[in-house]
Amino acid sequence: MTMTASNDLALPSGPLRVLHVEDDQLDAELAVEALRKGGFSASVVLVQTESEFEQELRSHAPDIVIADYNLPNWNGMGVLEVVRRESPDIPLILVSGSLKDVTAVECIKAGATDYVSKDGLARLPEVIRRALREKHEHSLRDQAEKELARKAEELVRSNADLEQFAYIASHDLQEPLRMVTAYTQLLSERYRGKLDENADKFLGYASEGAQRMQVLIQDLLAFSRIGRNGFTSGSVDCNAVMEEVLQALASAIQDSGAVVTYGKLPAVWADRTHVSQVLQNLIGNAIKFRGKKPPAVSVQAEKAEQHWLFTVSDNGIGIAPEHAKNVFVVFQRLHPRAEYPGNGIGLAICEKIIEHYGGKIWVESEAGSGSTFKFTMPPPGPAERARP
Amino acid sequence: MKPAPQVLIVDDNPADVALVCEALAGSKHRSQINSVEDGVEALAFLNRTGSHGSALRPGLVLLDLNLPKKDGLAVLASMKASPDLRRIPVVIFSTSELRKDIVRSYDLGANCYVSKPGNLNEFFSAVKSIEAFWFAFASLPPQGE
Amino acid sequence: MNSDKLDILLVEDNQDDMELALHALRREKLANNIFVARDGEQALDFLFCRGEFTQRSFDHPPKLVLLDLKLPKVDGMEVLKQVKADPRTRTIPVVIMTSSKEERDLVSGYNLGANSYIQKPVDFDQFRDTVKTVGLYWLITNQPPPLAEGFRHLDALAHDHDRQ
Repeated sequence: MTMTASNDLALPSGPLRVLHVEDDQLDAELAVEALRKGGFSASVVLVQTESEFEQELRSHAPDIVIADYNLPNWNGMGVLEVVRRESPDIPLILVSGSLKDVTAVECIKAGATDYVSKDGLARLPEVIRRALREKHEHSLRDQAEKELARKAEELVRSNADLEQFAYIASHDLQEPLRMVTAYTQLLSERYRGKLDENADKFLGYASEGAQRMQVLIQDLLAFSRIGRNGFTSGSVDCNAVMEEVLQALASAIQDSGAVVTYGKLPAVWADRTHVSQVLQNLIGNAIKFRGKKPPAVSVQAEKAEQHWLFTVSDNGIGIAPEHAKNVFVVFQRLHPRAEYPGNGIGLAICEKIIEHYGGKIWVESEAGSGSTFKFTMPPPGPAERARP
Repeated sequence: MKPAPQVLIVDDNPADVALVCEALAGSKHRSQINSVEDGVEALAFLNRTGSHGSALRPGLVLLDLNLPKKDGLAVLASMKASPDLRRIPVVIFSTSELRKDIVRSYDLGANCYVSKPGNLNEFFSAVKSIEAFWFAFASLPPQGE
Repeated sequence: MNSDKLDILLVEDNQDDMELALHALRREKLANNIFVARDGEQALDFLFCRGEFTQRSFDHPPKLVLLDLKLPKVDGMEVLKQVKADPRTRTIPVVIMTSSKEERDLVSGYNLGANSYIQKPVDFDQFRDTVKTVGLYWLITNQPPPLAEGFRHLDALAHDHDRQ
């Protein structure tokens, strides 16, 4: 059998360091012979008692432990215990003449890497190779997991930095913007009709632009605040929130002749302001993006495995499927401002909120035939969360 | 003859000072407005030291919080610690809506706290309310002592 | 009485003035919860959460105290002095509303830390207007001190600046 030891990273580059627990000299020699035949150059340390074993294990960590299952006063389970306690990473191969299959399986369940019968010592090299490969794979996997955890932590930190940046930027931008808004408005009012007509127009555009920017920055600030401190989750009755939202949207509802209906809604586990924002944004959009008919909006909820699934559907202008994903992108708008006002942050805020609670939000729609927005929210209490 | 009501605005943003003056222009109270840009100058004005030797003590101080050299809260603390100045009503007039700024201001003896509105009309309205309250309704300690 | 969201503490021993003030405040919907104390001692017990008011908490102070000066048991100046001397109550806005025209009272009031001083007009209509304006200014234009969390930090904050 050809050995490709140099290509196999799992195997040691030098001789295989074996710690052999065996009281019978002949059996010990047979094992070494089997290893040699299998292509290993082995450097073997032979021990017979528990204390010798422990000492050797501690002082010269071997690549592998081979142990006779039946020793006077101390059987394979004992060796197993010591290895598990001292060096759980080192593979342990049990060797025995009279090992029944049942006990063998017990040993492996208890943590022995493998076993070989004294009649089948020829298998020993292959068993050892397999054991070492497994160990190598485990260590590679551990490393990968650590790397993943590190990257995840970095991502969290980087997101936090980004949020803080957005917060600081919006916060600091407000001050100079306040100056621009105030003075363009003052100029507009003070000098209306006193300069030439272009001046009025220009001042109007400047003023509008500044005011729009104020709203934009306030929205951005609100967006960056989601997930920061200052929000506390509790059990929120969505029916009560709906009533408040309908109040807040009262004039939009009246102006458009909208009819908003909702089924019996559940309680969810979240911050009340967040729930309110999501519902208000979705219902507000449903009313805003209406077609020729008066808007009809329906809000429903149904229980899914571990969460509540909410649906907000309308009979408005709809969204072409190719744009469905884009609607959730910050500042992404699908229509000219003159047709449908707004700065395109409402849905981005909804998405950020829903994702903050580990849920999902998406839209099912066709252009011209209304939209159905769906999102998930966690129910209150772990006990309720576990209920089917 | 009763002197015209004196207002001292302590604010490092000349644009905001101008807005306050605009808001009060034409008001029946005919307030006279002085302004200083930093905390050190504010105290010099109030204590009538340095170049402000002949300044008139204001009947009302509009105090911003973020000031160079000495910040608003430090000015407030100095004022309320001084037997001569402590009776002058101080209205904190600041963009800050931070809890800690509001609490700290009251704790140091600010008479009231008004957040500068971002909207022009609301700004004017707030300034006019401040003037109306302090000069038409409240009684102020004798000015200019 | 729901002492959780107390808006105004009115300290007034004159029945007519008290009713007029309550009427003016309620009519403008400025305050939902108004408690009336009829003398200085009751006012102090109320603000310091003691006596008959042990169930009250320093975490839920009134947003505004309207304080008359001539009061039985403990007079208004003494109430003012105690309220402004204690860190737990110092931040509560106290507006003196009195018929006194004494300049001495005016100066003492401000010196002791009254947030404002109003002379009660004799005329009923003017009185009502005054109360309304006072309410509007202190509850709407003004930002009252924030509740609870703000108070827990008071002691920590107390030592930074010089203070008499």
